[in-house]
Amino acid sequence: MSLLLARLEWRRLFVRPLAWVMLAAVLGVLAYFFLLSLDACLRLMPKLAGMADAPGVTDLIALPLTRALASLLLLVTPLLGMRALAGDAQSGTLTQLLTSGLGERRIVLGKYLALLGFVAVLVALALSMPLSLSVGTALDLGRLAAAALGLLLFGAALAAIAVAASTYTEQPAVAAIVALALNLLLWMADAGARFEGVSSTFINYLALPSHLEPFLHGLVSSVDIVYFLLLIGVSLTLATRRLAARKVRA
Amino acid sequence: MPNSPLLQLQGVSRTLAGRLIVDNVNFELDRGSVLGLLGVNGAGKSTTLRMIAGLLTPSRGRILIDGHDNRESAPAGGAMLGYLPEQTPLYAELCVSEQLEFCARVHGLRGNAVNVAVARVLEQCGLGDVRRRLLGNLSKGFQQRAGIAAAIVHDPALLVLDEPVSGLDPLQAANIRTLLRELGRDRALILSTHLLIDVEACCDRVVILHAGRLRHDGALGVPADAALHVRLDAGVDAAKWTTLSCVQSAELRDTAWRVRLAAGATAAQLAEAVVRNGWGLRELRAEAADLEQVFLRIASAEGAPALHAAEGAPEERSAA
Repeated sequence: MSLLLARLEWRRLFVRPLAWVMLAAVLGVLAYFFLLSLDACLRLMPKLAGMADAPGVTDLIALPLTRALASLLLLVTPLLGMRALAGDAQSGTLTQLLTSGLGERRIVLGKYLALLGFVAVLVALALSMPLSLSVGTALDLGRLAAAALGLLLFGAALAAIAVAASTYTEQPAVAAIVALALNLLLWMADAGARFEGVSSTFINYLALPSHLEPFLHGLVSSVDIVYFLLLIGVSLTLATRRLAARKVRA
Repeated sequence: MPNSPLLQLQGVSRTLAGRLIVDNVNFELDRGSVLGLLGVNGAGKSTTLRMIAGLLTPSRGRILIDGHDNRESAPAGGAMLGYLPEQTPLYAELCVSEQLEFCARVHGLRGNAVNVAVARVLEQCGLGDVRRRLLGNLSKGFQQRAGIAAAIVHDPALLVLDEPVSGLDPLQAANIRTLLRELGRDRALILSTHLLIDVEACCDRVVILHAGRLRHDGALGVPADAALHVRLDAGVDAAKWTTLSCVQSAELRDTAWRVRLAAGATAAQLAEAVVRNGWGLRELRAEAADLEQVFLRIASAEGAPALHAAEGAPEERSAA
């Protein structure tokens, strides 16, 4: 049933221009970034050849690109997810879903899966750029795979936040702003602590980058996976509860 | 509970933002009857319907659908219930048949049953010609039809429609009313409205809400002992009427007579007597139940709804 709703959402997402424009804009920016890094890498090549422990193509091109993608995801997911439930509440279609007997949990899950699918497509398309270099050079595919997993989990967590924000208001624009604020807050949560040289405390655990960076460097650890899964779980639970509370508060 | 009514409201109240919107409403509804929920704007009609649809929980009391509390059996309630809110719940970017297919599937229909159900409601609601059109591009009348189609695609036993005819032109409204009458034949149907004409055209029972309270619950239609409305060409005075054996009393209202028949007499006998006397019978019809009078009496207390609630005006109940 959730898949049924996800499929409908997916279809609605792509008959509107928003998703296409967003996809084109993000990939355009990333492609330009990719070409710049490629150019820089080619210029550096002669110098690198003389170094003993020189960074490879994966370090010089793929790593900056994944970081850029992560930053863009911070901005893009709130915009893509803002309509998830706020749009339905505004247009009245939410009543149809709520009276259909789907149940709040499956409604939230359906909306979330559609958004997750979009994020996955975005990550896959973006990573196909550094992957295309494998035609001419040796890539660290294991590291790229870790980065892909990390970005996917990161995007999945942001999507969950966007869906949750979308249940708390009937105005999609407000949902987008709230989700963006939450994303940036989590992104910079430990900035002050790091500035003071504090690491490995709770505030560092809360911050998004401290869990994304290891993936981008090829390090897959269960702590980071659990962090993202927790974020997703908490967000979707809050969204479900909020939707159920509409019956009482309204 | 095989013999319990399909829908029961038992002492249902609802407070919104500290205001009592619906106050101790009780009524029942069974298959095959069309109930008109009548009231001025803000009388609590939509809130009542939202509670029946399970979108709001009652602050007090309970709502039973087929004997089950609708708070506990949301999925089952979903299969029993078709709900059309005031704001038609359609995805503007889908075409009519896509929307209906989704509604059918979301209610658990699968495979060929989906196509059969969609074809059925497309035909029933007269949407065949626009099935491939985007919902966002349809006129209000067609959107309303599509909304009704979406609400009945899973063939629910209970259909709840919130102001289905509001904002339509007279022709569209007449079409929707015809559709509603058809739908009410084998279902329990509740329809809210503030227009008497909707109720008179579609319903066989009417419940009047005012300031959140149920103020009238009665059958519609022509009572057996109704007065007759008679218009004549000739000038006749009241005394002449009573010379007819089939007439009990007659009074002149504007240009027409309001005639009460004697016990056992029929309208046919009256017509025959009038023609025999050469009074020039121009019009003869039974007077409808005086719904307008009842409604206006209840609604004219507008402006002092709080006072009304406080004095605890007794609920009116007319014989079914």
